[in-house]
Amino acid sequence: MAIEVLIFYLLAGVAIAAAAGVVLARNPVHSAVSLVLSFVNVAAIYVMLRAEFLAVAQVIVYTGAIIVLVLFVLMLVQQQDLPEFHGGRPLRRAVGFLLGLVLLAEVAAAILTRSLRGAPGSWPPEAVAAVGGNIQAIGRELYSVYMLPIQATALLLLAATVGALFLARPELIEERLAVARRLFTISLAHPRGVDPLQPVAELPGPHDNERKPAGGDRVLVMARNAEEFTEQPAWGEIRR
Amino acid sequence: MEWIADWLFVIPLAPLIAAVANFLLGRWWIRDRAHWIAVPAVGVSFLASVPAFLAVARQHEPLSQHLYTWIPAGDFRVPVVLSVDQLTAVMLLVVTGVSFLVHLYSVGYMHGDPGYHRFFAYLPLFVFSMVMLVLASNFLVLFVFWEAVGLCSYLLIGFWFRRRSAADAAKKAFIVNRVGDFGFSIGIMLIFVTLGTLDYAEVFERVGTLGAGTVTAIALLLFTGAIGKSAQVPLFVWLPDAMEGPTPVSALIHAATMVTAGIFMVARTHPIFLASPTAMLVVAIVGAVTAFIAATIAVTQYDIKRVVAYSTVSQLGYMAIGLGTGAWIAAIFHLFTHAFFKALLFLGSGSVMHGLHDELDMRRMGGLKRSMPLTYWTFLIGAAANAGILPLAGFWSKDEIIVGAWVGGYPVVALIALAAAFFTSLYMFRAVFMTFHGEERFDRAHLHPHDPPWTMSVPLVVLAVGAAVAGFAGVPPEQGWFHRLLEPVFESAMHHEVSLATTLAFGAISTVIALAGLYLAAAAYVLGTVSPAVVAERLGPLYRLAYNKWYFDDVYQRLIVEPARGFATFLWRQIDVGVIDAAVNGAASLVVWTSQLWRRAQTGLVANYVLAIALGTVIIVGAYLIAGSNLFR
Amino acid sequence: MSELTTAHFLFLSAALFIIGMVGVLTRRNVLIIFMCVELMLNAVNVSFIGFAWEQNALTGQIFALFVIAVAAAEAVIGLGIVMALSRRLDTVDIDEVRQLRE
Repeated sequence: MAIEVLIFYLLAGVAIAAAAGVVLARNPVHSAVSLVLSFVNVAAIYVMLRAEFLAVAQVIVYTGAIIVLVLFVLMLVQQQDLPEFHGGRPLRRAVGFLLGLVLLAEVAAAILTRSLRGAPGSWPPEAVAAVGGNIQAIGRELYSVYMLPIQATALLLLAATVGALFLARPELIEERLAVARRLFTISLAHPRGVDPLQPVAELPGPHDNERKPAGGDRVLVMARNAEEFTEQPAWGEIRR
Repeated sequence: MEWIADWLFVIPLAPLIAAVANFLLGRWWIRDRAHWIAVPAVGVSFLASVPAFLAVARQHEPLSQHLYTWIPAGDFRVPVVLSVDQLTAVMLLVVTGVSFLVHLYSVGYMHGDPGYHRFFAYLPLFVFSMVMLVLASNFLVLFVFWEAVGLCSYLLIGFWFRRRSAADAAKKAFIVNRVGDFGFSIGIMLIFVTLGTLDYAEVFERVGTLGAGTVTAIALLLFTGAIGKSAQVPLFVWLPDAMEGPTPVSALIHAATMVTAGIFMVARTHPIFLASPTAMLVVAIVGAVTAFIAATIAVTQYDIKRVVAYSTVSQLGYMAIGLGTGAWIAAIFHLFTHAFFKALLFLGSGSVMHGLHDELDMRRMGGLKRSMPLTYWTFLIGAAANAGILPLAGFWSKDEIIVGAWVGGYPVVALIALAAAFFTSLYMFRAVFMTFHGEERFDRAHLHPHDPPWTMSVPLVVLAVGAAVAGFAGVPPEQGWFHRLLEPVFESAMHHEVSLATTLAFGAISTVIALAGLYLAAAAYVLGTVSPAVVAERLGPLYRLAYNKWYFDDVYQRLIVEPARGFATFLWRQIDVGVIDAAVNGAASLVVWTSQLWRRAQTGLVANYVLAIALGTVIIVGAYLIAGSNLFR
Repeated sequence: MSELTTAHFLFLSAALFIIGMVGVLTRRNVLIIFMCVELMLNAVNVSFIGFAWEQNALTGQIFALFVIAVAAAEAVIGLGIVMALSRRLDTVDIDEVRQLRE
């Protein structure tokens, strides 16, 4: 028995220390790495609590997906936008720590004086072992009793995906359409393509020597170079 | 014919369907085709009424059809039962028959009106309400449709609501009727409180158990409703103003669907009135006063529709005399014949208006006999029937009422009725002579009067035939077919024993009186031997009294309308604006002020919100520890 | 303390939760705050699973599973908001975002 307790203290201690590291680290990347450490330790504690499936899910979802996402965003965000660590605001820091301590004391008191005990559930370890293990048991429970919530969760994830797409799109739709219009317009003869919103600037008249030699009847004004008349690249052109 | 008992619902349902269809689809789709729905629907209603009438005429037992239970509340149940006895059957025939002719007439009269579909939605609704009123078997259903009839009259009188006078007339009709309906509803409540039921049969059975005072109160309150609806003194003022509606509506209101409701209601509840001689006396006196006053007013009016309208009021007074003196069958008989000639007179005057481009003033008519022969002859028949000229319908029924009053022990009432009969004849023929005889006083350069199209003339002819022969349903007096038909209804009522001599004497007297009126009218407006202006001047104040409608409108205006308006203005300016609006505005500005104050709490900084959430968590957990846990116990 | 009790896990949960809360309260970088929120959610999961272990029930575990799913959705949206913030306002400092006031 004692060895279990010892392991628990070890894991819990590392988890708490890592969590503190998340809050205290100067560099956001260090915070993220501390978070990974904390999560992995918590996952180990899940294993001690006979929640093997959740331990795996914790590692995959949190440390795998979410943290990678966080690091990506960290990379995408301009570094000069990041605020300095604890830039001033000592009052708020003091208040934060004070509130944390008070809440800790309260919760500790609540845990120690806990008198409420629920009725024992229907999945003792033997029953879980009888259906083949924790994952099988969760599966049975999840897809029978919790059918509707799992559907709702799927919908939630879909909505979140759509929302993220909306939030992360580069500009407003109109701007994008305008960009597309400019991009898909042959801009050799027209300074701004055929965009009707922009007044067409004065064009240099065609000279005989600028006529296309083998062209038919069509008058084609040749730009001297692409940059002279348009900001956007013509087809096939690569803009520097 | 007993099979009709299961099909009674068709009678009200057909006009209801037509009304609903024209309401819902009229504006978008049906539009000028609205009459193709309304006219056949009312026709079906009439055709369904005929077998019902024949059934009760043969078997003497009422028919009834239970539709559904409207209010099932413990012991208090209000079933909607359609019941047809002989009285109801007569009313059904009158209502649906006249309504059908009016509908047919309206097709021509309302042609091209922008509200055509609306008109043909209101009109069947009116018929539906009246039919249900007649078919009701308890007081609550009666009251509901009593009000529905009032609503429909409001809608139709104010049909041309863009005209201010029409809107005012509609409001006047509605409000004046409210006065009567208030008494009526209290009467019904009194019945329920004292007897605990509203079913006709049960109420009539238990009327005898009530004290004399209670019965009198109930009867008088019920009659208050009839005073409003059937335009008796002093609430008759709305009916002449109701002329603002289209002419077919006037015909409908006067002949079939509205004013007869009051008479019908009193006849229906005759056991209550029989139990209270005082109430009967009141009914008779009110009727006599109404008949006389309205007849005198009608003599002095120049608006053709107004003359006919006051004539209706006067004839309703006769019916009330019949009810009050115990001549129940005679009253219903008069209602029956009156429906024919009054509808005819209105449709005839509508036809005159149609030919003269909505001219109403008889001083600008005259000589129309030549250009509108059909209208002339039908109108003449209607006028003669109204005046009580011998073989026509009005003579038989009116004479019977007068005889009934005399025999029933109200000789004064009978004399007043005879006096009113003289004026009746005078104003009726005055209208005929001023409109159709003499020189043509209208603008002949622009107006070319002509007889109306067939949809308008067919109803005129049918009604003229009815006005001519309907009276023979009650011949010989007191023993006619009509009397034998209605006898089962009024079994409990006393029967007048009328000797042949009395009947003949009164027939002779009223004929002489009617002819005297006719002669006077002819002398004044055709022969020219009597000058109306000189007579008016000679009579002086009496003439002015009649010309100004006995000052009823002015008295109401001075004593009721103006104080009420002043009080309403006070409520508006002081109470509404000063107290209620001020309270609302004050509450709103208080909210604005406090919001401005608390707005500063919203910094927009997420950190502050987070702090607030954390603080809240700490406080809630602390509160739990103090109050909910056993930490401190 | 010779064997594990529920209280052990509850204390661990409370500690993680409060560390996360203090982080949310004191840090200014939106990304750090976001990570602290994840920490708090995780702390709650520890409680759930601890109770499930105590009661021999699976309900707590399944609830924790839903919390993880919701946390994933929240991460997607939250990071999208961070991206939008950084692009529109050129900052991820929570003290410079005052748009909630309007």
